[in-house]
Amino acid sequence: MAEKIGVYIDESSVAPLLNAEELAAYVKEKCGGACPIVKAHKRLSSPDGVAMIKADVDAGELDAVLICGTSPRVDWDVFTFGDKVLVDRVNLREFVTLSYKNPDGSSVAAGGPIPAELRSMVQDYLRMGVVKMQKMNRPNPELPETNRTILVLGGGFTGMNAALAAAGAGAEVILVEKSDKLGGRAAGLYKTFPMNYPYLEATDTGIDRLIGLVTGNSRIKVRLNTTLKLLAGAPAMYEATLASGGNEEKVPVGSVVLAAGWTPMETEALAPFGYGKFKNVVTSAEFEAMVKAGDIKRPSDGKEPKTVVFIQCVGSRDKSLDRPYCSGFCCMYTAKQAILTKDHIPDSQSYVFYMDIRSPGKMYDEFTRRAMEEYGARYIRGRVAMVYPKDGKMIVRGADTLAGTQVEVEADLVVLAAGAEAAKGAPQLAEKLRISYDKYGFFMESHPKLKPVETNTAGVYLAGSCQGPKDIPQSVGQGSAAAAKVLALFSKDMLESDPQISRVDIKRCVGCGKCIMTCPFKAIKEVEFRGQKKAEVIETVCQGCGICTSTCPQGAIQLSHFTDNQILAEVNALCQS
Amino acid sequence: MPVLTGKELRIVGFLCNWCSYGGADTAGVGRFNQPTDLRIIRVPCSGRIDPLFIAKTLINGADGVLVSGCHPRDCHYAEGNFYARRRLEVLKRFLPILGIDPARFDYTWVSASEGQRWQKVVTVFTEQIHALGPATRHENVSPELLAKVASAIQGGNRVAA
Amino acid sequence: MSRLDALKTRIKEALPGLECVIGWQKGYDALHNTPLFIRGEADVDKLEWGALNVHNPAVYLPSFAGKKVGVVVKGCDSRSVVELLQEKLIDRDNVVIFSAGCDGVVDIAKVRAKLAAAGLNAGNAEKVAVDGKTVTVTAAGKAVSMPMAEVAADKCLRCQFPNAVLADAFVGDPAPQVQAAPAADADLAALDAMSVPERMAFWRYHMDRCIRCYACRNACPMCVCRDHCIAQSREPHWLSQEDSVTEKLMFQVVHAMHLAGRCTECGECQRACPMDIPVLALKKHLNRTIHDLFDYQAGVDVAAIPPLLQFKLEEDNIKERSW
Ligand SMILES: Cc1cc2nc3c(=O)[nH]c(=O)nc-3n(C[C@H](O)[C@H](O)[C@H](O)COP(=O)(O)OP(=O)(O)OC[C@H]3O[C@@H](n4cnc5c(N)ncnc54)[C@H](O)[C@@H]3O)c2cc1C
Ligand code: SF4
Ligand code: SF4
Ligand code: SF4
Ligand code: SF4
Ligand code: SF4
Repeated sequence: MAEKIGVYIDESSVAPLLNAEELAAYVKEKCGGACPIVKAHKRLSSPDGVAMIKADVDAGELDAVLICGTSPRVDWDVFTFGDKVLVDRVNLREFVTLSYKNPDGSSVAAGGPIPAELRSMVQDYLRMGVVKMQKMNRPNPELPETNRTILVLGGGFTGMNAALAAAGAGAEVILVEKSDKLGGRAAGLYKTFPMNYPYLEATDTGIDRLIGLVTGNSRIKVRLNTTLKLLAGAPAMYEATLASGGNEEKVPVGSVVLAAGWTPMETEALAPFGYGKFKNVVTSAEFEAMVKAGDIKRPSDGKEPKTVVFIQCVGSRDKSLDRPYCSGFCCMYTAKQAILTKDHIPDSQSYVFYMDIRSPGKMYDEFTRRAMEEYGARYIRGRVAMVYPKDGKMIVRGADTLAGTQVEVEADLVVLAAGAEAAKGAPQLAEKLRISYDKYGFFMESHPKLKPVETNTAGVYLAGSCQGPKDIPQSVGQGSAAAAKVLALFSKDMLESDPQISRVDIKRCVGCGKCIMTCPFKAIKEVEFRGQKKAEVIETVCQGCGICTSTCPQGAIQLSHFTDNQILAEVNALCQS
Repeated sequence: MPVLTGKELRIVGFLCNWCSYGGADTAGVGRFNQPTDLRIIRVPCSGRIDPLFIAKTLINGADGVLVSGCHPRDCHYAEGNFYARRRLEVLKRFLPILGIDPARFDYTWVSASEGQRWQKVVTVFTEQIHALGPATRHENVSPELLAKVASAIQGGNRVAA
Repeated sequence: MSRLDALKTRIKEALPGLECVIGWQKGYDALHNTPLFIRGEADVDKLEWGALNVHNPAVYLPSFAGKKVGVVVKGCDSRSVVELLQEKLIDRDNVVIFSAGCDGVVDIAKVRAKLAAAGLNAGNAEKVAVDGKTVTVTAAGKAVSMPMAEVAADKCLRCQFPNAVLADAFVGDPAPQVQAAPAADADLAALDAMSVPERMAFWRYHMDRCIRCYACRNACPMCVCRDHCIAQSREPHWLSQEDSVTEKLMFQVVHAMHLAGRCTECGECQRACPMDIPVLALKKHLNRTIHDLFDYQAGVDVAAIPPLLQFKLEEDNIKERSW
């Protein structure tokens, strides 16, 4: 229960429509008893603003801080002042100053009188904020014994980088790989499109070095030919059942990083281009393997191809196949492959059919330009209508939508940039871990901006192409980000200071289990208390949705920050006036 | 957009933090024209909304209540809005038997990016409440109506005579 | 053997293994039976069966949590037992259900009215005899006969479950069902016929009279919270203690909404109200709503999940508003 609330009003959020000092005076007048400190500041989210609040907190005068300014959806990580004080927000910017218009739709004239509607709006929100804060409960989670081992699923580029980042910070890692070797898809790549200065040449992917680092790291235990069968428990106290061959083993782990990657689309999308029917139509992955082997040949007769046609977006961005998404890396690797073709076969000519070029990475556009300008690859914008054999060659017929003409290319080899799909078994894995996945089987992050590598299951993180197609640099970045988030989770403070979780009032609970039935995260378990059944929230699993709170008839389970009493206080504040 | 003039009414909104609250933020940032009667209470999920909050708000004299959450299948907590939909629909059908016009309560789904949709929902709902006018509370039923209804009630605890 | 004797026999057999068996006995006057808690063989003979067994004994079951008890039930009461089991508020292994076909119970208020019409005071009732379709009450030496159809509880006139939906010991012949399909409820029809403002006036009139005694809640077999009911707690603090129509009506809304999808329409809430307030109408309306929306009836299937504790991705009967 907050009794000494510091109320801070952000001038940059309310000006020029409203005067921050006047608002502060209003709070003092109406709620002064509960709010010993009421201050206005030019910009609360600035270092200076935060320092001002921090000084008041450190002086020990406050048990709660109410930030009145921007929406609670922004700057949420700026306004944290340790576990001594509660923090809540009042949205005056988005909900009041930005959205307020006069009843006739006009904007409020600067410097003019404050319209009554605007005044009542801002005052209501301020009072609601204070009364809600007054009813806010202080959390006191107790930490169970923790296990900090990180289980990484998937030994591709992403998984290995996550494992190395975590191990580098001192964590123990178990790296589980379904197949019999590390490396994932990137192991099949000859070179990658450039990733370092001067960003001109295709370079070595570095996968072999990476595999060496991982296998040589004493903190990382690699388990090949292994999959996750079951994950039970809670963050910092999960129990993972690993299956390998016919054997099963239970290992205690603290958290999980998913890096299960992706898989290239299979024949259904490729068939219209003659794949599977004509030998000289191959996928990019098959072509990449040829390049890697240093042996680019026509499968039909083993001759060196002189004309190579690359077809992009095969099975990608295609609504009719229910694959409307872009596979992300095909534009870039196709450019790379066109360049490599020229490198290996100097008198060859490449053609690339594309829809449009998506190359937003650093120097990526320059790289594709080089493919065209220096390596003479002919880029043709348009869909391919037909691929058929004629006199030992493949005829690729399509439209050039820029020139507005039909084109036909006589090719020795046709390379299909097959789109990316979610890894096999991804939905089943997601179900096991209770995380969301989209209809294509890619895992979903908790929030694209606020929690990009978190999932809705606490302690389970995701990275790389299992979330959606990503090239190597993006995968590496996410792998490291996930490792950082896991480590942050383990820095005890974090586990303790996310207090938006539900708690059971054991006296009131009759053990009916209605909350257990409705909790989407299995965060509530039944316990025995003096011979009676009671509900108990597993604090580290609870996600703070409050479904349980509105399910329990007698209000025995309450979600902190959003208790019945807090919401009722807001309702009452609004219904009195 | 039609102009809303006359006295402001008391409209209370319960908005889910992840979607509709963000949608309302978006509408604010986009400076969309919006009526000013609504006051928003933030909740983590539409599944957190006990229908009794709405009943209490209306019985205590609010003129309208609007609930908005994530679109079905988009719930941040996977299932909250599915539970909410059932509970809110039951409440909506319960209100008229209490003597409260069900048009004073609506629920819908608005995502964080749908500032335009939010603007439309608030505007339409506010207009709807203004068309109904200020709500009467049970406490303020007119003596004439009370006398008329009371005289039709004949002892005993049955509604039907 | 009469139903009553058959019940007694079965109870005597089972009693050694039970903490007690809940049933009915003769009350303080001829018109009222009261609950009976059979703990020894001698108590068994106090058991009554028939039209005066108005109480729902299921209401006592949760308070025996952890102990094995027996309960004698009418058809309607058995639905409360099923609902309690369904919600895991009692344990199937700890309850033995005794039952027999039920021919309906009286509504004491209706009997009282009949006696009053004959110039008699129900408080003076000396003897009640029920045979087949007639109830004969003797008061102040005068016998008044009334057709059962005119004094039966409303719920009995529309009863769909005269025989227990779940019983361990069902004795005698099943009772015939009153009607194939229940007739439209008269209370709901009357409320439906009112305008919305009239309904507000209607509840205003009734809630003015409520004395906030919570008898309605205490009689409800599904209100297992009782001491911790949110009507009286401060954490959470839903209602003030102010004696206003607003707070009193809000309590009725709390009870009704908490029972949505759980109420078996046993009618105990309304029967218990000392102020003759028709609180059951609110629950009947919600039950109708739940039935329309989810095709669901509470307390008939132990394995069913109450409709508000589950959902469908696409709801069959919820049409969302388009804006
Ligand atoms: C032809 C082609 C050329 C490409 N060229 C380039 C390029 O030049 N540059 C570039 O940046 N990108 C390129 N890419 C993209 C690149 O392959 C991906 O960015 C990269 O593989 C993503 O790595 P990842 O670790 O996320 O996934 P993956 O490489 O798919 O690794 C996932 C690993 O997880 C394992 N796994 C899957 N499920 C499970 C499970 N349930 N349990 C345990 N293990 C599991 C898999 O066996 C695999 O080893 C190319 C792609 C193609 C098709
Ligand atoms: S719903 Fe309430 S009473 Fe039932 S188990 Fe959960 S907390 Fe306890
Ligand atoms: S708030 Fe309740 S329902 Fe939601 S995750 Fe936590 S325990 Fe489960
Ligand atoms: S609310 Fe009334 S009718 Fe429904 S179960 Fe409770 S006592 Fe019976
Ligand atoms: S009204 Fe609700 S809180 Fe009160 S006893 Fe009944 S179920 Fe419990
Ligand atoms: S039993 Fe009747 S008087 Fe008592 S609280 Fe219930 S409705 Fe009011």
